[in-house]
Amino acid sequence: MPRLPTFDPDCTIFLDGEAVPARRGEPVAAALLAHGRPLVSRSAKYHRPRGAFCLTGSCGSCLVRAGGLPNQRACRTPCQDGLAVETQNALPTAQHDLLGAIDLVYPRGLDHHHLMTWNGLANHAAVAFSRRLAGLGTLPDVGALPAEGSAPATEERFDALVVGAGPAGLAAAEALAEAGRRVLVADAEPAAGGRLRCRLGLPGEPDLAWAARAVAKVTAAGGEVALRTAVLGLWRDGGSPLAALDADGPPRRLRLVRPERIVVAAGGHPQPPAIADGDRPGVYGGRGLAVALAEHGVVPGRRAVVLGEGAEPEALAARLAAAGVEVRQLPRAEGARVLGRARVRALEVAGERIPCDVVAIATPPAPATELARELGAEILLDATAGVFALRVAADGRTGVDGLFAAGEVTGVMDGARAADSGRRAGEAAR
Amino acid sequence: MTKTFVCTCEDVLLDEVRRAFEAGNRDLESVKRYTGLGTGPCQGKSCVALVARELLRLGATPAEVLPFTVRPPYRPVPLGALAAIEPDDLPVDDGVPVHPAAARTPAAELAPLPARADVVIVGGGIMGLALAYELTRRGTKDVLVLERAYLNAGASGRNGGGVRAQWTTPTMIRLARRSLELCDRFAVDMGVNVWFRRGGYLFLAPTREQVERIERNAELHRQEGLRTRVIDRAQALEVVPELDPSRFLAASYNPDDGVVFPWPFLWGYAGQAEAAGARIATFTKVTGFETADKRVTAVVTDRGRVACDLVVVAAGAWSKEVAALAGVALPNRPTRHEILVTEPMKPWLDPLVSVLGNGLYFSQSQRGELVGGMGDPLEPEGVVQGSTLRFLARFARAAVDCIPVLAGTRVLRQWAGCYDVTPDNNPVLGPAGFENFHQLSGFVGHGFMMAPAVAELYADWLTGRGKHEIFEQFTLDRFSRGPVAKEDFIIG
Repeated sequence: MPRLPTFDPDCTIFLDGEAVPARRGEPVAAALLAHGRPLVSRSAKYHRPRGAFCLTGSCGSCLVRAGGLPNQRACRTPCQDGLAVETQNALPTAQHDLLGAIDLVYPRGLDHHHLMTWNGLANHAAVAFSRRLAGLGTLPDVGALPAEGSAPATEERFDALVVGAGPAGLAAAEALAEAGRRVLVADAEPAAGGRLRCRLGLPGEPDLAWAARAVAKVTAAGGEVALRTAVLGLWRDGGSPLAALDADGPPRRLRLVRPERIVVAAGGHPQPPAIADGDRPGVYGGRGLAVALAEHGVVPGRRAVVLGEGAEPEALAARLAAAGVEVRQLPRAEGARVLGRARVRALEVAGERIPCDVVAIATPPAPATELARELGAEILLDATAGVFALRVAADGRTGVDGLFAAGEVTGVMDGARAADSGRRAGEAAR
Repeated sequence: MTKTFVCTCEDVLLDEVRRAFEAGNRDLESVKRYTGLGTGPCQGKSCVALVARELLRLGATPAEVLPFTVRPPYRPVPLGALAAIEPDDLPVDDGVPVHPAAARTPAAELAPLPARADVVIVGGGIMGLALAYELTRRGTKDVLVLERAYLNAGASGRNGGGVRAQWTTPTMIRLARRSLELCDRFAVDMGVNVWFRRGGYLFLAPTREQVERIERNAELHRQEGLRTRVIDRAQALEVVPELDPSRFLAASYNPDDGVVFPWPFLWGYAGQAEAAGARIATFTKVTGFETADKRVTAVVTDRGRVACDLVVVAAGAWSKEVAALAGVALPNRPTRHEILVTEPMKPWLDPLVSVLGNGLYFSQSQRGELVGGMGDPLEPEGVVQGSTLRFLARFARAAVDCIPVLAGTRVLRQWAGCYDVTPDNNPVLGPAGFENFHQLSGFVGHGFMMAPAVAELYADWLTGRGKHEIFEQFTLDRFSRGPVAKEDFIIG
């Protein structure tokens, strides 16, 4: 049962020539997951089998060639009928890659600094050979590029920019909109809601109906919620902060905004597990799995181990169980090892072998501090969680003029608290 | 085989982090450079916290595990999309990140400074480290190198790695050719790979004047024994089929020029110099000099004072401010130069391509990334290392004009370093202000490629093995003696 009943595929994509049923607009990675094909790429150096991990455009493990363009993230590329997806960096394909032998030849890893430095001829050969192996995709198909140059980007006027349309970002945007501010909310995801899209119904967490109301308020106040739109950076180029936004389109569009105030509510980056063979296809970020299940009915496997402690992993485990997945929840997995090569077969932990084909990582993400740090915001090491978070005052002020932050970029917190902090930051930014 | 990864983009193992730490790379910036973690498609989003935790467990301090400097863009973006931005609408500014908090090793964790050293070299870039190495080879072993940050923090760790013999004077051609020879042997001589690859340099000449210029240069190159050829569009397309032939008239091509990966040069020189007795003090800032009559007697740092017989300032863009601490005024103008790297691609580009006139250059690195920069005529003087959107827009437009298919190539990361610019684009060498206060600065963006050869000559001179003509030619007082001939074949 790769998908829940009411989520029928309505188009076909092709992976290395193989037909894969898909739903229009869902990410390629979700279609492959539903198709039982977690392996989508080969790793840069050892040619290890890899699959999508984070499912949110954060990590780099699902790069494929799609529609003639190299290095596209399978988790960011929407399906359309007939889309040709090819695996990269493999001989001949990622499913059966002869270069996977490199992983076996270097069981303890390859010391590239000292490889073949004992002899000049050997060294020249090693340099030439490793160059042949290096790199991921090949040049784009000329026909895949937009025929005309992109439309010129002009600076747009907004009172405020909110980065992220999760609970914190939407709450901040709502507060700004209520004060009559024209707000641009940008989110790289195809739908608003951020973590609320997991639909885990966590205690105190607002739901997607609230998110829709917040979006409506922003729009009513003359603002905009721009989806599939990533904030590339907060530069200055002339003094005050200048944001460049990459709107996926189609057509792809570069947007420039120089807002008076910015609220960074970009959430966090899913963190891979630091366990032996934790890079195997079938290890996923928990929230990505929850969204694929909720929005596209993707049932990722038969047996899942959910790693993490607290309400969120518990709710995720319950969700997967309700979808017919046999679930085991573990608070942590120190010393664990993933078994299986082309896909997860089991998790070995404390001498026990737990058969599974999915490992869902439901530990807190690492705060996405990058954008705020570009403008000089400070970070602090949260020693308990082992992550770096933005240092902010109670009202979200970062200490940088006009720059506020809220939600998980400021530390580990649940959705309810994220929305509260967003509200406070939005009010302070008014 | 069972492996535990910290960085799945670049396949970096947890064990590599441990080995890097044991080898003395304590701070996260150094560990990043030594292992390559965080330099792939995710740019550290999935590994920084994990690596920081591991380093803390190994004994690093919180100051050492601060995440490496944040670099735009947040998400890879195609050059074609960036080309939509009109760069002229964006004024030059200091760029981002603003006030970056860099990982650094606290003084308490560093080995104490010696009370004296025969030679103190200010600047642990390739110039200073190569000189330290060449001095130890010649028997001068009591050498102390002072570096204000981690190794590779300055221009030596920020440049595009080009090494070319295509210069405009016999002196520069010979120096560069010697450097190319040393690059060829570096991995074996120094025991660390630098991924030197002779893919050639292709200079595109878009105007009649530029064509005449490369023809003049090619004649000199022939006299010097280089294989430089002026080639027409069709021949240039054989070298790089993806070029837009309407954008140039002819090209200058030398198949023997090449590119390297810059970082390991510093590890190689530093490692061999230390093994021979030199000392290298990182995270140590020079704050002043003690002088008596015509001599400098000691270097004062934020970690104490070191008495010495000889000081060599090899501080790149910081040379002017270091020399000023001794009251010596250099005409050098440190000037930012921005650069970027794209996602790795399978090999498709052999030479380094440079467009004469607009300052664009790019090559494909050993790992497959396109590494490229472009100078900005509006860039003011100053030690500034922030990144601008203006640069991304300028580079994107010029690169897509040059090779249209690059519109679909995605930028991973941008950064900046500083050229140490002099009035005639030639270096400042030899004593300045004091008889034992030497300059090894002013290399105007080509110091990296000149360092291996210049360091040999400098060490020869300092150890009484003969004084090369460059030390007569490129003295500080040439600027006060009258007009100087300007080197005009500067890229970027």
